[in-house]
Amino acid sequence: MASTDTYLMPATLADALKLADEYGGNCRIIAGGTDVMPNRFQGNDTAPYLIDISRLNELRKLEKKDSSIVIGSLTTLEEVSNNAEILKYFPALAEAANSAATPVIRKSATLGGNLLCENRCIFYNQSEWWREAVGYCLKCNGDICIASGGNKRCFSKFVSDTAAALISMDAYAEIITHEGPSNLKLEDLYTGDGIQPRNIKAGTVIKAIHLPINNSSRTVFKKLRLRKSLDFTSLSTSVTLKSDSLLKIVLCGVDPGPVVLNKRADDNKDDIIATALKKSRIVDNDVFSRGYRREMIRVFLRRSFTELGILK
Amino acid sequence: MPIINFILNGIHKEFLIKQQDTLAAVLRNEAGLTGTKIGCEQGSCGACTVWINGAAVVSCITPAMRAKDASVTTIEALSDKGELHKLQKKFVDKGAIQCGFCTPGMVMTALEFIEKHPSPSIEQIKESLSGNLCRCTGYSKIIEAVAEYAQERNGAKRETPVKTDAHSQMVGGRHPYIEAERKVRGLADYADDIIIKNALHCKFVRSTHPHARIENIDIYAASHLEGVRYIAIGKELPVTFGVLPISQDETAMAIEKTRYSGEIVAAVAAESEEIASNACKLIKVKYTPYKSYLTVDDSLNDIGGNEKIHRHTKFNNNIHKKAELRFGDQKQGIKESDITTVMDFEFEGINHGFTEPHSATAYWDENGLTLITATQVTHYVHRALAKVMQVPLNRVRVIKPYIGGGFGGKSDPFAHEIIISHLARKTGRPVHVRLSREEVFLTNHGRHPSRMKISMGASTDGTLKALDADIAIDGGAYGSFGVVTSYYNGVLLQAPYKLNNFGFRTYRVYTNKPQCGAMRGHGAVNSRFAVESVIDDIAHKLGKDPVELRMQNFLPSDTMTVGQYRITSNGSRESLQRVAEQSGWKKKFGKLKFGRGIGVGCGFFISGSALPIIWNELPQSTVHLKLDFDGRVLITSGANDIGQGSDTMLAIIVAEVLGISMEKIFVLAADTLLTPVDLGSYSSRVTFMAGNAAKSAAEKLKNEILQRVSAKTGVSVEELYIAGERICSNDMKVDLSWIEAIDMVTAKRGAISVSGWYVSPKLGGDFKGAGAGLSPSYSFGACAAEVTVDTETGKVELIDVWGAHDCGKAINPLAVEGQLQGSWHMGLGQAMSEQMKYYEGLLLNNNFLDYKIPTSLDTPDIHTNIIETIDPEGPFGAKECGEGALHPILPAISNAIFNAVGVRITKLPIKPEDVLNGLKQNVNSKQTQTA
Repeated sequence: MASTDTYLMPATLADALKLADEYGGNCRIIAGGTDVMPNRFQGNDTAPYLIDISRLNELRKLEKKDSSIVIGSLTTLEEVSNNAEILKYFPALAEAANSAATPVIRKSATLGGNLLCENRCIFYNQSEWWREAVGYCLKCNGDICIASGGNKRCFSKFVSDTAAALISMDAYAEIITHEGPSNLKLEDLYTGDGIQPRNIKAGTVIKAIHLPINNSSRTVFKKLRLRKSLDFTSLSTSVTLKSDSLLKIVLCGVDPGPVVLNKRADDNKDDIIATALKKSRIVDNDVFSRGYRREMIRVFLRRSFTELGILK
Repeated sequence: MPIINFILNGIHKEFLIKQQDTLAAVLRNEAGLTGTKIGCEQGSCGACTVWINGAAVVSCITPAMRAKDASVTTIEALSDKGELHKLQKKFVDKGAIQCGFCTPGMVMTALEFIEKHPSPSIEQIKESLSGNLCRCTGYSKIIEAVAEYAQERNGAKRETPVKTDAHSQMVGGRHPYIEAERKVRGLADYADDIIIKNALHCKFVRSTHPHARIENIDIYAASHLEGVRYIAIGKELPVTFGVLPISQDETAMAIEKTRYSGEIVAAVAAESEEIASNACKLIKVKYTPYKSYLTVDDSLNDIGGNEKIHRHTKFNNNIHKKAELRFGDQKQGIKESDITTVMDFEFEGINHGFTEPHSATAYWDENGLTLITATQVTHYVHRALAKVMQVPLNRVRVIKPYIGGGFGGKSDPFAHEIIISHLARKTGRPVHVRLSREEVFLTNHGRHPSRMKISMGASTDGTLKALDADIAIDGGAYGSFGVVTSYYNGVLLQAPYKLNNFGFRTYRVYTNKPQCGAMRGHGAVNSRFAVESVIDDIAHKLGKDPVELRMQNFLPSDTMTVGQYRITSNGSRESLQRVAEQSGWKKKFGKLKFGRGIGVGCGFFISGSALPIIWNELPQSTVHLKLDFDGRVLITSGANDIGQGSDTMLAIIVAEVLGISMEKIFVLAADTLLTPVDLGSYSSRVTFMAGNAAKSAAEKLKNEILQRVSAKTGVSVEELYIAGERICSNDMKVDLSWIEAIDMVTAKRGAISVSGWYVSPKLGGDFKGAGAGLSPSYSFGACAAEVTVDTETGKVELIDVWGAHDCGKAINPLAVEGQLQGSWHMGLGQAMSEQMKYYEGLLLNNNFLDYKIPTSLDTPDIHTNIIETIDPEGPFGAKECGEGALHPILPAISNAIFNAVGVRITKLPIKPEDVLNGLKQNVNSKQTQTA
C-alpha cells in the first residue's frame, strides 16, 4: 500500500456514502477485504482512501420477506452457505458460496464483495515488478491484452461464483449511493468489459440481494477448478429451470462478465451450448487451456440439463 | 498514524500503527507475537490465522484497523498457565508437527472449527483445514489430531499419553519432536522472528529481462531517500560461488548482464522495509536485451553469433553438462529382447513450496560475520560466505534457527545471504531480509523441468534385458546442484531391478530462467516415473501382472548393481508385497470397471551421499557429547533439523545408548561456531551419518562412564551396565542412580566431552562418474494407488493410496510415518497439480494461489507402512525415509489411470485435458481398427 493511505471507518451507511461521494474514484469500499487486500498487496489497487463498511449492521440482515429472501451484502460466504433458509430454497447458492476460496476466507468474505470482486487474469494478478517486466497489459494501463496475444480488448475473467448462481435465480441487487437507493437486475451490474467490469460508479454500495422464492424452480451449480479448495473458478455454470419451463443459464470464469442465456427448456440443447460457447470470450489466462474450458462448458451444461431432467 | 485499541489475548492494548498495516504486521512487529507466521501475504496459506472476536481470519490480508475495539486471539494465548491446550497437546502427541511453520495457523483454524462443530466427520475436518497449507505432513496426522481431540472433548476415553520417561522405549518408540511444544505454542523462532537490535532492512531490485546487458544502474534518487543507508550493486561482490566446487558460476548480484527475469541487480539497506522498497522503485536500470534461451531446445542448439548464457561453457550452445555412463550393451540387450518399449516423457519444473519464505539476518562484530539464516546446509553457507566475503573460515558463524521446511530448497548458499552480509559490513549495522513468496519462487532451485526417452526391453518370461535413457534437463540460469542432478537422473535407474545392460546420457542446459537444483527425491523422480511407466507398459504387452513382473526382476539383498553400487539391506520385495496385499491388488487389478483403476510403482534412493561435495578428509558428520555435573548430556551437532526431526533422532540414539531418558538430553545443532561439522540436510544423509556419529559418541561416553565407575567401585566394566537411568552391576553390588554415578564420574575432573564421527566406507568402481549416487546404503519402497477417471472431463480422482518404505529401522516411527506421508503428499502434488509455468521467461504462477499444492481436500487417505530390514551399517539398522518414499507414488497414480481407462500418461503434471485427449485418441484408434 502507498504511504498516503487513509483508512476510514464510518459509523453509519449514510456517513459511508457521503465519504464515498467525496472521494469518488480515489476511494475503495472494503468489506471482508479478502479481494481488495491481495489486490493492494500486488499494487493493482492503489486507491488512497479505504472506506470500511464491515461494521455497518444495516447491511447485515438475512431474512425471508414476503416471497423473497433478502440477503444483506455483508452476509459472509460462510453464513450464506450455512443459512437454513438459503439451504431450503436456494441450495445451489449455498453450494456456490461454499465453493469460493477457503473456509477461513469465507468467514470474512462477504456476499457483496464476492459479487463485486475484481476481474482476474494471470497476466494482471501479479506484482508491480512482474507487470513491468511483462510490459503492462491493458488492465493496468498498458496498450494490449497479453493473454490474447495483442488484442485491444481486455479479457480478464469475471470469477464470482455466487453471481453465477444468483443471476440464474433472477436475483436483483438493492444498491445505494449518496444520491439514494435503486434496484437493478443482478446481471445489469456487469458491463462485460474487462477493465471496467462493473456498471456502477465508484462509491456505490450493494445493500442487499433480493431473491424471489419460486418453489418449483431448480438450479444446478457446477464449478471447474484444479483443487477442491482455494482456487478461483475456471468455469462456473449455474442453470435454473423455472416453473414456466424457462431456462436461465449463467456462466462465470469464461468472459469479462457473466454470460447469461435465457432459453426455454425444450430448446435444442446443442444450439443452447453453441450459443453459450459463442458468447464466452475465453482466452488462455487460466490454469486450464482455452480449448479445455470450452469443452467443459459443453460437459457442464449437458450434465446440468440431465440433472434437471431436460436432457436424456 | 492512528492509535488503535484492542484486546489482545485478553489484555487491553494500544498500538500506534500505520493505516495501511495488516493485522499480521501489527501482531508480529508491534506486539512481538511472532507465533503468527507470514507464508504468502495473500491469504492463501493460512499460516497467519488468528481470531477476531472468536472468528478465524487470515491476518496477512486483514487490515489492522479491523481489530479496533475488538478482541484478538493469537496462538500465544491458547495455553493456560503453562499447560498446553488439549488440541495443542494432541498436535504434539500425534506427530502433527514437523517444521511447525503452519502449525499455529492450523491450530487456530482447527480449534475455532471444533468450537463450532463439536462432532465433525473426518471429511468435515478435512474441509475445515483446506485453507491451511502444510507441506510437511500430508495432513494425515493433523487430521488425526483434530479428530481425536474432538472425540475426547465429547467424552471419549483418552488414549494413554505418549511417554518419554526412562522406562519407555527409545529407539523404536514413538517420540514427538523434542521441540514440538515450543512450535505449537508459537514460541519457536524462525529466521524472520529473530529481531537483532538496530537492524536495517533489505530489499532487492530484480531484473525485468531474462537475458540482457546492464547498461546503467542509476541509484542517485534512491540514495537520497531519507532512511536509505546503502545501495549495493553487482560489481561490489565479484567473487563467484555455487554449492558445487565445479559450478562456481553465480555472483550475488548480476554483473554486466542478467541471466533470468528476477535476478538481483541491486540491493538497498534502509531503516524500514517500506523505505527500502520505495528506494528500489527509484533505482533505474537500463538494459539492452540479448536473445534469450527459454527451452531445452533453444539451449541445445548452436547459437550462431548470439550471446551465450555463460561464456565458460565449452561449445557454441548453452549445454552446461553432459553426463553419460554405460554398462553392458544396451543396443544388444534391446535386440535380444522379445518385447521392447520406447517412450518419450515430459516433466514441468516444480518448486519445494516450503511454507516459510527465505529469511536471514547478518551482522559483524569482534567475532567476524554472523549470519542467522533459514538453511539446510550451514556448513556450505559457511564456506561460501568465507569465500565471497574474503574472510577466513574462522571469522564466519552461520546459525540455523527453526526452519519452516526445506525439501532441498534451502540447501544452496543463496545470493540474499551474501548480499546482506555485504550490506551489514558496509553499514556497520545488522541487516535483515525476508523474501516475498514471489521472490521465493524466483530463487527456486526446484526440480528440473525435463524430458527423456526411455527404451526398455524384456524377454517373454518377463526378465528385463536392457534400459537406455536419453535425458535432457533444463537447469535455468545457474549450476546449483545440476551436475549431480544430471547424473542422478540416470544412475539411480540401476536399481531396484536387475539390469545387465544399462546406460544413460543426460544433457543439462542453461536457460534464462530461475535456476533449478535439488528437490526431495533429487534427480531421480522424473526418470523413475518414466521407467516405472515403461515397465507397466511392458507388463501390459506381456499380459503379466505388473506386481509379479516387478517381483521377478528385483535385485536381492547383499549384491552389486551393474554400476557397482553395493546393495546391502533391500526391502523392495516386502514393500511391494505389503502394498499389494493391503490394497487388495489381486482382487482389483484387471477387475475394476472402466473408469476405475489401480496401479503400482516402486522406488530406490540413496541413504546419504558417500562422497562429500567438497573433497576433503573430514568425517561426513561429527557429534560431540558433553556430560556435566548436573547429569545432563549436551549433544552438539552440525546437522540441520529442518522439520524432519533430526534433533530428536540424535537425542533418541544417545538416550538409547546411555540408558537414560530424553529429559536428560539437550541438543544444540547447526551453529558453526559451537557445533562440529556435519555436511547438512541433503541427500537423505542425516539419520545414517549424523545418527552413526551420535551413536559412536554415545558409546564412547558410556565407556568413559563405566570405566570411571569401575575404577571407583572396583567392579569390572564387563560387570556393569546402564539401564533405566541406573548404573548397576549384574550382582547389584553396584546400584547407582544416574546422578550418583555422574558425581563419581565428574569428581576431580569436571565435565567429560567425547566425540564421535562417521566416515563412509570406500565404495564404487574406478571409472569416471563412478562416484555419482554412491551411498553406504539404499532405501526401497513401493506405492499403490486407486483412481477413478471421469471420462467426460478427464478429471482424475485419487481414491486411495497405499505406501510402504524400507527405512531399515524406524528409530522414531512417529517421525518416519510423518516423513513418508509428507513425501507421498509432495509426490502426488507433482503428479496431479504442480508446475512452474512461464511466459517469456517470467514465472506466471509465483504465489500459493496459482502454484497448486494439494490442500487437505485434495489429499486422499494414505495407508502408511514402515518396512524394516535392519541395515548392517545404519545406526540401529536405520536408513533414509525422507526422500526415497516420494518416487513410487507418481507412477502408481499414472499406472492406475492406464488401468482405469487405457490412457498412458507421459507428461507431468497429469492434466485432465491430456487424459481426455488420450481417451479420444483411444476411441479414434478403435474406430480405425474396426473400420
